[in-house]
Amino acid sequence: MRLTAPSLRHCLLAAAMASALSTLAAAPLAGSASPPQAESDALDLEAPAPAGSEARALRLLIEAAVGRASQRYLPYARDSARLSLDLSHSASWGHGLRSVVSDRLDQMQPVSGDSPEMVNSLREAYASWQSGDGDTLVEAGRINLRFGPGFGYNPTDFFRDGSLRTLTTVDPVALRENRMGSVMLRAQAIRAGSSFSLAYSPKLAERPSRGGLGLDLGSTNSRARLLAAAAGPISPSLSGRLLAYRDDGAYGALGANLSALVSDAAVMHLEWSGSSEPDLLARAQAGPTAKALGASALRNRLVLGGTYTTLSKWSLTAEYQYNGFGLGQSAWAALGATPLAQRAYLQEALRRQELAPRQAYLLHAARKGLLLKSLDLGAYLRINPGDGSRLGWIELRQHWNSADLSLQLQDNHGRPASEFGLLPERRSVQLLGTYYY
Amino acid sequence: MSSAGLLTMRSLSALFLGCLIAGATSAAPSADEMLAASDDIRNPSQAFSMTVTLTEFQAGKQVDASTLTSYARPQAGGQFASLIRFVLPARDAGKLMLKHGNEMWFYDPTNKASVRLSPQQRLMGQASNGDVATVNFSRDYKATLAATETIQDGERQPRRTHKLALTATAPDATYASIELWVDADSNRPIKARFFADSARLLKTAYYRRYQTQLGAQRPTETVIIDGLDPQSVTLMRFSAYAARAIPEAWLQRDFLPRFKPD
Repeated sequence: MRLTAPSLRHCLLAAAMASALSTLAAAPLAGSASPPQAESDALDLEAPAPAGSEARALRLLIEAAVGRASQRYLPYARDSARLSLDLSHSASWGHGLRSVVSDRLDQMQPVSGDSPEMVNSLREAYASWQSGDGDTLVEAGRINLRFGPGFGYNPTDFFRDGSLRTLTTVDPVALRENRMGSVMLRAQAIRAGSSFSLAYSPKLAERPSRGGLGLDLGSTNSRARLLAAAAGPISPSLSGRLLAYRDDGAYGALGANLSALVSDAAVMHLEWSGSSEPDLLARAQAGPTAKALGASALRNRLVLGGTYTTLSKWSLTAEYQYNGFGLGQSAWAALGATPLAQRAYLQEALRRQELAPRQAYLLHAARKGLLLKSLDLGAYLRINPGDGSRLGWIELRQHWNSADLSLQLQDNHGRPASEFGLLPERRSVQLLGTYYY
Repeated sequence: MSSAGLLTMRSLSALFLGCLIAGATSAAPSADEMLAASDDIRNPSQAFSMTVTLTEFQAGKQVDASTLTSYARPQAGGQFASLIRFVLPARDAGKLMLKHGNEMWFYDPTNKASVRLSPQQRLMGQASNGDVATVNFSRDYKATLAATETIQDGERQPRRTHKLALTATAPDATYASIELWVDADSNRPIKARFFADSARLLKTAYYRRYQTQLGAQRPTETVIIDGLDPQSVTLMRFSAYAARAIPEAWLQRDFLPRFKPD
């Protein structure tokens, strides 16, 4: 404590205070302010002993699901069942060396056509080396490399096409979890808040595998690809990434991402890519194994969205999605003359995780601890403004320490030849149980 | 001694005592100094890691539990940058949260998504993301001395405290305002009430179970009581403090997919 010379005025004032205090000192000490009863009760609570904090090398989950879906083209509902085993393992070998394996096995019934009932997705299997200070990284193997802040559509996720072997849900988050990576060699450098990475993914197979248990390199490595990405903060509340992509089909693309904090409760994201590749209809008509197709004029893909969080713990996201390579409403309606062509178009859009219409809107809401502390709600609505069709999805998830139970409802609504009115399933319900090891 | 002499002696004694008090008063630490001192008690001054165990209760019954590891590194301005790794439950194992100045990112390794969070998203959940991250209040808030009063502390003992009124000055401050009670003698944080912009009480916290960690007596448990639903309580227990080197490279979005602790 720093001592200073007091003035006479201070001394006299303090003398008066001292006299008053000496009088007060004779009085009994008043009781301390007691907290309200609820606070007092809270202070009685005891926490269990802290658990260990070591990162576990193995992550394993088992998921079982049963469902029923009303059909648009059949007079009866169809039941479905699925059992999934999902594991990932990470091991450190010293000197910055590490290996990662991530795999998912799905057994599904029923399946369409000649698709296998059991499908294995080797999502990742790679080795990495990282410098001691973390500045430099080199990885080789099957790697799930993903960019883009968009919630329901990612124009700068250049390795997304062909990466999904099974479609167990329409939840965009779960779809990202289930996808396979591409075999590649990747290097990344981080310097002073910025990063630069380069990934080369070679061509390893001609066509997707028909078997369910193979590596299916034809889905993820059917052509050679090169991706460079640079990222860094633009301002304290704005960060961005630039991407340059090229594949051996001679299609190049540029992309950019922005994430911005716009208020205490809101963040916004922008994702853009531009290229002159073939449009989606040409790709659908040519099939996934087609050789180089004719390029189109420069077109754009875009996602602009924002998330607002309320004090009552609702997280609300709205997103505008644009795909310059998708069919506009008039072209889509013209394609309706051949429903099989429409279905092939939608199938190709799904395989490529591409936006089928030219434009779409997405609304998403999430609330943790709805009514019960361990009950979470997630829901989204995807709207095709061209044909007015929409897909609604809602999930209630109850979680315990090692297990989840969730109920998912989906409604595909629209006129017969619309994007969602064309889907064979009208409404579906699915009950899932998940055990985490 | 005559009564007049006695009066003079009493007056001189009072004057002497008054001078002592005045000297001490004018040299008393400011509210901001008390706040900084309480920060130094809550947080070590060097880069460190610790285990955070969160136990959630509803109406006195345990309903949830989770374990995190926090890695905190002091930055040039005196504030901490924090990297939080989720350990338990198994569902969340490996997820990461980064708070670095105005930037806050959440990374989920299962879907490879880095999502930017707003300050309000930090408030979701009782022991919010903002609470788990290591924060020096003195860097984000201006303090004024509101009162000196005796309150009951987290161990149910009467404690003479200075009540500090904190007003946010940094744009990335988690709360609009805070009432913080610090021990009048030691500046130990005892209790805090956190408010939103609307002056709505978000939560009340008690700092307790002081133990020696990284060279100082620090609170190793915080009791957090929800402002809207006081039956909703979270105990945050801090353990396994360790000084450790945390490279600056760890504390950015693009490092999150690569973060693999020893």
